[in-house]
Order: sequence, then structure tokens, then C-alpha cells
Amino acid sequence: MRSLLILIGLIISSVLAVFPDEAYQVDYHHALLGLPREQSTFFHQPLANSKASLIYTLSEKSIIGAVNPKDGALVWRQSLSSALNSTETLLRVGEGYDFVASATETEVATWTASDGKLIWSQSFDAQGKIKDVSLLEPIPGELAGGAKDVLVLFQSSNPFVQRLDGETGAVKWQYGDTSGDVPYKLASVGSTVYLVSLHSTLLGGLKIRITDIDAITGQKMDSHLLSSDGDVTSPENIVFVGMSSAAPILAWTDKTFKALKINILGTKNVVVFNIDKKSEEMEGVRLHAPARANALPHFLVQYDSKESHWAEVYHIDITKATIKKAYDLPKLAGKGAFAVSTADANVHFTRIAKGGIIVVSSVSQGVMERYIFQGFGVPGLQGHPHPVHAISEVVPRSTGKHGVRVAVLLSSGDWPLILNGQSAWSRPEALTLAANSVFADLPQGERLARALAFEEHASLPKAYFHRLVRHVKDLQRLPSFVQELPTRILASLTSKVAPPAGATTKADTFGFHKIVVVATENGRLIGIDTANGGNVTWNVPVPNYVQDDNWEVPALRPTAHGTIRVKNSGGNWVFETATGKLLRKATDKAKVKGETQTTIKYNITDNVVLGYMGEQKSSPIWTFKPKDGEVILSISPRPAQDPVASIGKVLGDRRVLYKYLNPNLALITTVSRETDTAFVYLIDSVSGNVLHEAAHRGVDTTRPIASIVSENWLCYSFTLKSGGLATSSRGNHLVFSELMESSLPDDRGALGASANYSSLQPSNGVAGSPHVNSLSYHIPEEISHMAVSQTRQGITSRMLMVTLPESNSIVGLPLGVLDPRRPVGRDPTAMEQSEGLNRYTPVLEFHPQWYLNHKREVFGIDKIITEPAVLESTSLVFAYGLDVFGTRVTPSFSFDVLGKDFNKLQMLATVVALFFAVVVVAPIVQKKQINTRWQL
Amino acid sequence: MSNPPPPPPPRWVVELNTTPAARPKNTSLVDPPGFSGSGRKGNSSKKDVAAPRKAPTTEETDTLKMKKAWELAIAPAKALPMNAIGMYMSGNSLQIFSVMMVFMCFKTPLLAVLNIQATFARLESPGTKDKMLLVKITFVLMNLLAVALGTWKVNQMGLLPTTSSDWLAWESARDPLERAFPDFAT
Repeated sequence: MRSLLILIGLIISSVLAVFPDEAYQVDYHHALLGLPREQSTFFHQPLANSKASLIYTLSEKSIIGAVNPKDGALVWRQSLSSALNSTETLLRVGEGYDFVASATETEVATWTASDGKLIWSQSFDAQGKIKDVSLLEPIPGELAGGAKDVLVLFQSSNPFVQRLDGETGAVKWQYGDTSGDVPYKLASVGSTVYLVSLHSTLLGGLKIRITDIDAITGQKMDSHLLSSDGDVTSPENIVFVGMSSAAPILAWTDKTFKALKINILGTKNVVVFNIDKKSEEMEGVRLHAPARANALPHFLVQYDSKESHWAEVYHIDITKATIKKAYDLPKLAGKGAFAVSTADANVHFTRIAKGGIIVVSSVSQGVMERYIFQGFGVPGLQGHPHPVHAISEVVPRSTGKHGVRVAVLLSSGDWPLILNGQSAWSRPEALTLAANSVFADLPQGERLARALAFEEHASLPKAYFHRLVRHVKDLQRLPSFVQELPTRILASLTSKVAPPAGATTKADTFGFHKIVVVATENGRLIGIDTANGGNVTWNVPVPNYVQDDNWEVPALRPTAHGTIRVKNSGGNWVFETATGKLLRKATDKAKVKGETQTTIKYNITDNVVLGYMGEQKSSPIWTFKPKDGEVILSISPRPAQDPVASIGKVLGDRRVLYKYLNPNLALITTVSRETDTAFVYLIDSVSGNVLHEAAHRGVDTTRPIASIVSENWLCYSFTLKSGGLATSSRGNHLVFSELMESSLPDDRGALGASANYSSLQPSNGVAGSPHVNSLSYHIPEEISHMAVSQTRQGITSRMLMVTLPESNSIVGLPLGVLDPRRPVGRDPTAMEQSEGLNRYTPVLEFHPQWYLNHKREVFGIDKIITEPAVLESTSLVFAYGLDVFGTRVTPSFSFDVLGKDFNKLQMLATVVALFFAVVVVAPIVQKKQINTRWQL
Repeated sequence: MSNPPPPPPPRWVVELNTTPAARPKNTSLVDPPGFSGSGRKGNSSKKDVAAPRKAPTTEETDTLKMKKAWELAIAPAKALPMNAIGMYMSGNSLQIFSVMMVFMCFKTPLLAVLNIQATFARLESPGTKDKMLLVKITFVLMNLLAVALGTWKVNQMGLLPTTSSDWLAWESARDPLERAFPDFAT
């Protein structure tokens, strides 16, 4: 009775319990922005009445974001969709503005500073482009509300300057520039707007024309040319155009950095400062001036040479219109960065150099704060990256000391913030430049995987013996295992997964713990720990990296023994997977395995796919040339590792449809732009034979066509053109085709039961061509990339993962819903129902449960890679592009591991309760039995 | 040493063993209330007297025995429709109930066939021995029918490896003699 009560109690508790979702447990996500641009990164207070400031940036990936300087977390971000074709994007913040303004070449938009909501956006004529955007300083004569306006400089055949209302985006005035010069920048100083344009002279130099415009009325007040044509040959020679009353200057230099010439806007004279090169090879001049209107008119000129950097501080006397040099900041070895910050009217310059940070006041040379540190506190960062640019915020404290926050972009692509000399956080923005990535095993996992692989392929007695030996060897670890046992049991009972110290070097039994190695375009190799929240464990430079467009991002290949091979045209190296240590330079000799197969390679050159033996590219054995007017978009080969457990598909009547399994499948997608047609060709990449082809008319050929081949199926998606051909449907389509040996069940096709086949020399002329079943679906969103899950044996059903760029998500489609055998136009028969086939519905909605990213927004995913875990049910997924996202998927659910919701304590409690119940009840029952015998 | 003589049996034993003397036939005394009948002996004697049955001849016994034997032989077939309905009702899914039913469906006829000699032993006599063979064959056949029903059921449940899908695991994919690899990063 008691046990019954206990049982009932336990059942009730399990019913009431909420199953904890595995969200945020198995997945990890780096919400990234891209490398912040120097001219578009600021500290800014989003709320005028609060001192708390956020870091705003517009990155090289055209993402506007606000980062919390306390912990580096992203507050909000927006992707500038109109930036796709823009070479230049701009971000402006202004003192007292509660919005930030962004500009691409064709669009100006403003966003609320605190939460990143779009206030308004204005599109401009696609023929011209937006050259500059500026925020108007508050003008004393105007009402406060009207002051927060945006100035836009637009370059076209009729260039103009517009003043847009900050709240609505309405045009307040427009000034058309008829001088015929090329507009360059805007500078808004007080109530005057200076339009800086470039006037070409006959000799090739550029004169700078400055047009003064009244900010209130939009009337031209003055216009004059500065004779800069001896120095300025391209806009790059212009160092600085002032943006505030504190720095109403225009500075330029010549190609060889002989002199720095500065004009105070509103005057016509030019001040010349000869540059002391300090016998160094100069690389550039940068000018840092405060952006706040009421700040002291002091600015800093930074000189960069190849090996060192130094700076000079200048003071402007605005009333006298003179500039004089105040002091020097001495030359330091290595590259450095300067940042300017204002506290009330005071201007501070922060210098970030190798080994330390110093803060000086603009007034005098005395060092206010000095912090010495080694490195920038970026986790896992190795090598010696130098600061590229920095922003800082210096806040005076009542103690006389200053609070100094410096966010510095390093050449490694990391973006750490240093608070009072201590590293506060770091954002791994280099991951946005990821070009290649690969899953690499940790040493132990590799060993186990190899042992298991041996046992899989050896004969039965041999495998048994091998396993026996392995287990005997494992016994050596028994003492330490027993020692660890209590803590492990405790941990598993409380279901707390505390990673033990030194977790990075040990693989786990389930194979979830791997290192994803990412090679980036800025020459870094980054190791991401899949088990440890996706943290960067190491970050090392590729040895031969140079900042050059011709530098080739290396290919990565994980090898046995926990190492990874890194190879580009300039070299070949071996790195340790666990630590990222460079082990040795390797020779470029790929291991030749004792393969009996003929190996053929294929590649695409000049819109033709060529297949050739070995390295004989000049004499291809086959060519695939699309029809005239067709352009090859992509080739998706079947993954090299694609195990298939079952070679057939069991029907409802228990007959078998045999799968067409050919490891050499490749899917070629082409488009014909003239006829708006998309073609897909499935080829056997050994013989080049086209096995299947399909054409789709009325396709928007400018949109991406994602495609994939795996197992015995292929899938692709495309967008139909709106208002195009007279097709009955519009929107996004997904086509899923399945390849079978034969259309008839229990038939293995033309090749019958032969154990092998050749595509090059088919026996009896029979090459075996597949029977193709296809169905197409309407999908709600465009797909930019497809990937398929991989498991160890291929027993688990596959999951098709698709990237949706519009909703920033990744969706895992179960293949069952795409099955081309779904009955069309009728309900499934009982047999079909037992196969799990539903009636075909043309519209395929993405079920919310299929979203792998759940609540997260995954921006800009270009590629998804998958890797089998040791557990058959599980596949590891890693997606990159802009953001980095990783998770584990179980397409057939986790059938081989207990879920987190399994309550071990409850199970133990039940066992104990039952034991006690038996102890209590047994004597009672015995007594009763004896009594019944006597009472007969 | 001789044992002392046993004590005289108690009175109730004596009374139990001594039956009361037969009632005089022509007594006019009525039985006392509650006295039912006049004992087992009287009753049985009355019956014996009433039906002095003539002992059946050997032929008659044999005919009777054969009749009985045929009934026994056909019995499994009579249970078949009932069994079939049960099978049909229990469905084709693998559940404890249907599995137990199928198990019984096999166990009962097999045991019956094994015990065939014991079943028919008491009906066997020198006269019926020759005819009994046919009966036994029929009995076996009928039981085989029950087994067939079970087999049908097992097949319905998909437990018999009769279709190609059951042998799929032993078939392997064809090996390609050539392999092609993309010469570009995928």
C-alpha cells in the first residue's frame, strides 16, 4: 500500500515537471558584427539624461551594432541590406542625439540609439551615390527639436546637399551644387555647413573647393578654392575633414608625407607643418580630433611608419584662426593607436602601444594614467598582433584618478576592451572573416575513433580480440577511474555538467568534444571548443600571412594523432589541435594509400567542368559544357564521407525499393540569364554522364540557388521571378528528388546483384541509370545554403539543414516531409501510411520546432559543416559566415543516450522505495499464506 | 515383551462403523422431521434394482470408443474459428497480448501432438487399433491447421522473413571501381 502511494506520488511529480529544453545547453553562438571601421566606431550615450554609454559601430560587414562596454554583449544590431553593392558605408552619432544615422551608397537611415529600431530611411537615386552624411550641431538660433537634423551629400550628375528632418526624414532644404566639382565631404561647424569638393586641374592635381552653406536656409554663402593641387592627387591624401566646432579644420598631405597642411574652415589661409619623419619610412598620417562641439579645439596628429609611430598635439585658436603645435608624443617602436575622448570640455588622448596604455591631457604633456600590460587579455590569442585603431572614454573620478575604457581593434581581428589597464572582455570579430573550417578531433577521441573503426572493419574473431586487448589496456586507468567515481556519480545525480580542469585536452566518450578550426581571411587560425560553449581556445597566426589580396586562405585537414594540417600555396604546416601550437613545417606529400580504385578529379574552368585523371589537367577524360547562354553557378558533390546503413527503402508491403547509391554524384546548377531559366544536372563525376536533368522556367536568376546531394537524393531551391513567365506559381521553391535503382520494388536495376561496377567501362554496356522521383514545394523563405547532417554509421535518418537569410535562422528539415513518394492528390493508402507518408501538400511551412537556432538570430551564415559524433544519434553542426553558431542535432531523436529530463534521483528513490516495500510486505504475505492453509 | 492390548475404540468410532439396522419394510412409523432419506445403502440398492443394465458388447464399446475418438480428433478444428477471431481481434502490432496469443496458438497444438498417445490410450483397444491410425492422423492434421493459423498470424505480424526487406541487411551496396573527387574546396 505504501509503495503504491509512493509510486503515485512519483508519477504526479513527473507529470508536473517541466522538461528542461536543451536550448542554450547544446548550442553556442557568437553574435558578431565584423571588424569595426575606424571612422564609424564611437562611444555614445544613447539617453541624454544618463551617463551610461554604449559602443556603436558600423563594421566592414555593414552591420550597425551597439555593444555594451561592461561585458561586450551585443545590445542590438542591424544589417544594412542596401549595403550589398556599396563600397563605402558611414555611421554618424552626435552629441545629444538619441539616434544614430547610417548611410550606404543609396540609402540614409536613422536608428534609435537605445534599441536599434529603424526611425526612417530615405532611398536615393541608384545612378548616384551618397558621399557623406553629417549630423547638424545644435544651432543656437533654432528650436531645440529642429536641431537634430541629418545632412546628406549626394553625388550624381547634379550633386546636392540635403538637410533632412531628424524625426521624419523629410527634406528641409536642398542645395544643388553647380560648380561641376566632385563632392567629397561635408563638415558642419556651428550654423555653417561646409561642402568640400574636389576640383580637378589640368595637371592632374586636385584643388579643394569649399562651399559655405547656411545650415538654416540652405543658401550658399561663399565658395573658394584652396590651392592644394600640388599635393592632393587623390581623395586619399586628404587626412581629415572636421566635423565639429572643436575641430573646424581640413587637413591634407602629399604622397610622400613631406608636410601637413591645415586649413581652418571658414578662412582661406593654409597652415603648413613640415613632417619630421624621424628617418623612418612613413606609412600614413591620421588626425584625431574631438567630436564634441564644446570641447577644447585641440587635435592630435598620428604618424605611422613601418616600424614605429609617434604623434604631435596641436591647439587651434579659433578667434585668431591660428594653429600651433603644443607638444610631442615620443616615438615608440611597433604600431600603435590613438584615441581621443572628451570629458566635459577637456580633451584626452589615449595612446595604445605595445605593452601599455597612456592617457594624456590635450593641454599638457604630463601622463595622467599609465597602464602596463602584456598582451591585450584576449583568450587564447597567440602571436603579437598590433593595435589597428581604438576608441576610448576617460571619465574623471572624485579621487582624482580617471576611469579609462579603451576598445581597441587588433590586427588579429579581436576587439578587446581594457578597463583601467585590466582586460574586461574581448569580441572575436575575426570569426566574421572565416573562410574555411573543419572539425578536428582531440587526441584521445581520435584514438578511440580509430580503435572503433578497426573493430568495425576487422573480421569477427580479430575484432573481438582487439576489443579484449583494448579493454585490458583500459584497466590500467581503473584506479584513477575509481577515484573519480564519487564525484562523477554526484555530478550526474545533480545533473550538473561541470567541465573538469584541463577539459580542452580531453575528448569525451560521446564524441561531442571537438575543436572546430577556422581559417580566416586575415591570416588567423582559430580553435573553437565545441563542448565549452563555443569559446575560442586558441588563436594563432598562419606563418606566411601577409596583408595582401593574393594571400590564399589555407586549406585545413585534420589528421590522426590530434594534429591538423594547414596548407596553402605558400607552405604546409602541422598544428596541434588541442593547443594550436605549431608543431612543424610539413612537406607537401599527401599519403598515398594503397587504393585499387582509379581516382579522377574534376574542377571548373571557364564555365566548363573538366574531369581528369590524376594531375593531367590538360587532357581531360570528360567535359561538361552547358548550353550557350548558361552560366554554371555551383557544383555540389556528394560528401566524401557519407555512410549509408541501408541500401534500400522498405515499402509498406515489406518489399524493397533499392536506392541508387553512387559516391561520385555531383549536382551542377546553371542559369540562363536571357531566358530566366535554371537548370540542374546530376552527373556521374567519373564518366561525366548526365544522369538526371531538370529545367525551371521563370526563375529569378539573380537570387541564390542552393543545392545539395547526399545518400540517394538531391535537393535544390530557387526563387521564381515575380511578374515573369506565365507559370502558375510564385515565390520560393524547393525541389527534392530521390534516386532509385529501379521504379519497381525488389529490383536492383540493370546491374542486378553484381558486387561492383565501373562507370568508365560499363560491363555489357550497362552503366545503370537511376529512376528519379521528384516533388517540389513552396517554401516561405529563400534558402541561401544547404547542408546535411552526418552520423557515424548512417543509421540515423538525415536532416537537411537550410539557412534562411531573411529570418536569420537555420532550419533542420526532416527528410520525411520531403519524401517524393508522398501521394499527390489523394489520401495515402494504409500501406503508404505505414511508411509514414502523408498526402502531398504543395506548401511546406517551416515548423517552429525545426528552427535549430530557436530564439537566437544567426546573421549571415554562408556555410554549415557537420561531423558525426561517437553516438550514432548525434551529428555536430557548425555554421559560420558572419556569426558563428554551433549545435548538436539528433534527427531521429537521441535514442542512444538518456535525456536530461531523465531523473536519476527519482529512479533510485523508486528502487529504494520498492525494496523497503518488499521488506515490509513479505512477512505479511507469508503470514497470510500460512493462515489460509490452516483455515481450510 | 508383549504390548498391552490396545484400548477399546471410542464409542463414536464404533457407532460410525456400525450401520444402523435395516428398517423394517412395513413400518408405519414416519421418519422423524429432518431425517432425510434412509441412507446411502438403501438408495443405491434401489437403483441397482431399478436398472440392472445389460453389459455392452465389445462391438458396441468399440463403436462408442471410435465415436469418442473422432470427436477428440476433430476438437482442435472446432476451436479454430474461435481462435481465428481472437487472432484477428488482437491486431498485428507486437504487443504482449497478441504475442502471448500467438505463443499459445503454437504451444497448444504442439503439446497435443506430443501427447497424442496418452490422449487416445484409453480409447484404444484391440478392436479399434486399426481404425485409430486414421483418427490420429486426422488429429495431427487438425492440430497442424491450428499451427497454420498461428503461422498466418505471425506472418501477418511481419515476423516471418518472407519478403525481400527481411534480407536487406545482408545485401551490400555495389562498390564503384572508380572514385572522383572535386579538385576545389567545397
